[in-house]
Amino acid sequence: MTLLKAQGITKSFRTGELDTPVLKGVDLALEPGEMVALSGPSGSGKSTLLNILGLLMQPSDGSLSFMDETVSGLSDKQLSAIRNKHYGFVFQFHHLLPDFSAMENVAFPAAAPAGGISADIRNRATMLLDRVDLSDRIDFAAMRLSGGQKQRVAIARALMNKPELVLADEPTGSLDRENSGRVMALLREINQVDKTTFLISTHDPDIAKHCDRQINVVDGQIG
Amino acid sequence: MLFALRVAFRYLTANRVQTGLLIGGVALSVIVFVFMTALIRGLAIFLTAQTTGQIAHVEIEPLPRIAEVISADNRFAAQPISTFQRQQIRNWQMIVSQAERVDHVVAVVPEVTGNGFLLRGTAVAPVALQGIDPSQIDAIIPLTKSIIDGSSDLSTGGLVIGAELAEDLGLRAGIPVLLRSDRGIERLIPVTGIFRVGLSNVDRRIAYLSIAVARPLLSLPNGVTSVSIKLDDPSLALSVSKQLKRQMPLKITAWQEKNRNLQTALVSQGRTGNFIQAFAMIAIMISIASALLLTSVRRRGEIGIMRSFGISRGFVACVFVFQGIIIGLVASLIGAGLGYWLCLFLSDGLSDPASGTSLPIAPDEGGYLLVIILTVVGSALSAILPARAAARLDPVEAIQQ
Repeated sequence: MTLLKAQGITKSFRTGELDTPVLKGVDLALEPGEMVALSGPSGSGKSTLLNILGLLMQPSDGSLSFMDETVSGLSDKQLSAIRNKHYGFVFQFHHLLPDFSAMENVAFPAAAPAGGISADIRNRATMLLDRVDLSDRIDFAAMRLSGGQKQRVAIARALMNKPELVLADEPTGSLDRENSGRVMALLREINQVDKTTFLISTHDPDIAKHCDRQINVVDGQIG
Repeated sequence: MLFALRVAFRYLTANRVQTGLLIGGVALSVIVFVFMTALIRGLAIFLTAQTTGQIAHVEIEPLPRIAEVISADNRFAAQPISTFQRQQIRNWQMIVSQAERVDHVVAVVPEVTGNGFLLRGTAVAPVALQGIDPSQIDAIIPLTKSIIDGSSDLSTGGLVIGAELAEDLGLRAGIPVLLRSDRGIERLIPVTGIFRVGLSNVDRRIAYLSIAVARPLLSLPNGVTSVSIKLDDPSLALSVSKQLKRQMPLKITAWQEKNRNLQTALVSQGRTGNFIQAFAMIAIMISIASALLLTSVRRRGEIGIMRSFGISRGFVACVFVFQGIIIGLVASLIGAGLGYWLCLFLSDGLSDPASGTSLPIAPDEGGYLLVIILTVVGSALSAILPARAAARLDPVEAIQQ
C-alpha cells in the first residue's frame, strides 16, 4: 500500500489577470514508515506542494490518493476528518494555543471531536509530553514555554491522534542549532519507533541528511 | 460541544478587560431596557389606576331613543320623541341582581342622576347630581378618604360636594345651600361634607346626595338613570360588558370605551417603549458582533492551526456562538439585577411621601425574563457573523500570517 500518491499535481495562483503556475505536474509517492525530505530553494513551490499533500489546499489539476483512496474532490468536512485522523502537522512556528496548557494543546486534536478531554486523552497527551521530555511542563501555559519547548509540544500535538503521516514545514526554522538537533533526533526516533511517515519540507541540507530520501523541488517540478 | 464551550469560556477569561468591558456595555443596555419597561408599564398602571379608581368600570344606561321613521303614503315623517320624558331603567332591581352574579363584579350601584344648580346669594354654579344609596358612597369612588371637611354620610339627607365647587360658592360643611334641579324643583339642603379627589371635573361639578332625596328633585319616583359597576380587575371591563350585553337589552359601556384618549396614549407610549427596547437590543447585538469579529481576527492563527489538524468549521463556529451566548447570559443577568435595583431605588428612593409624588416605576414589571431571553438569543444571533467569518478562514492563509 502506498501511503500517499500524487500524480500530475499542478497549482496556479491568479494575480490580477495573470495565472502564475507554482507547481507544474508533480508526481510523487510516499511509502509507510518513510522519512522524506522535501527540499528546494525558497519559492520553488515546496510549501505549496506540502499544503496540497496535507489536504489544506486544493490542486488546480492532478489527482491525490491517501492509503489508496482518492481524496481529490472531497468536501471540506471529509478532508477535515482525514486530516484529524491520519495527519499530523508541525509548522515552522509552533502555533500553539496560548491560552491553553501544554497538555490541553496536545490533547486538542482528540478532545475537540470527542467533546472533551477524557481520561484516555489526558493519559495519551501526558505520555506524549513525557516522550518529548516535557513531563514537568504538563500544566504550564503554552505562552510560558521556551521556543524549543513550544516546538516539542507542537510535535506531541501532531502525534496525538496516532497519525500515519506527519507533514513538517521547516520544523527547525525558528530554532537554534541545539534545539534543531534535538527536534530532528526526536522526529527520527518517532519515525523509527512508531513507523510514522514523515515528509519534512526544508532548505537546510543538514536536516535533509536525517531523512531516508530526499525529493528536490525545482521551479515547481520534481528535480 | 462541551469542549467548544470550554474553549469559548477560556477565550473570554483570557482577556478579562475586553470581556469585562463588553459585558459591562451589554449589561448597561439591559439596564436601559429594564428601566424603560418598568417605567412605561408603571406609568400605564399608574394612569390606569388613577383613572379607574375614580370612575365606574362598567356603566349600564337605558338605550337611547331614536326617532322612528314613518313611511305611510310614501311621505317622509318621523314620530317625535319627548325630551320631557326622562330616560330611565325601570326594572333596575332585576338588573342589579343580574349584574351582581357576574364574575369579578364587586359593587353594583344604582344611581339617579341629573343636572341642577346650587345657588348661594347671587352665586350660581351648575352641578351634576348623583343620587346613590348612602351605604354605597365609597363603592365607585373612595370618597370617604377624600373628605377634607365634614363627613361623607348621606343618610342625613345632605349634600357632599367637591372642594372646588365649595370654594366657588364659599361653602363649608354644615352650611345649607339652595339646590334647583333641572326639573325646576328647589330645596334647601345642608352641605354634609366636602371632598377633594384631585380631578377638577369631579371636584367642581359633582354633588352626591341620597337616592331618596334625589328622586323627588329629579322627578324619578321609581326607576334609576344608570347602574354603575365596579370590578376587582378594571382590565376585564370590556369582557364583562360583553357578557352583560348578552343578558340585558340596555346600553352597556366599559370604561375603556369612554376613555379612548387614555387607551390611545397608553398604546402610543407602549410603542415608544418598544422602539427604545429595540434600539437597546440593536446596541447589544452590534457591540457583541463587533467585539467577536475583532476576536476572530486576533485569533486567526489559532483558528488556522485548529483547522489544519482537522477541527471542523462547525466546532470553530460553535466556539464563537458560545462566546456570544456566555456574554449575553452573564450580561443580561447582571443587567437585570442592577436594573431591578435601580427601579427599586428610583421608585422608593425618589418618592416624596409629603407630596405623594413618586416616579411611577413598577419594579416588578421590568420584563426581566423577556430581556434575558432576548439578550441571550440576540447575542447568539450577533455571534453568527463572526462565527461564520472564523469558520471560513483559509487555514493556509491564517497559518502563514
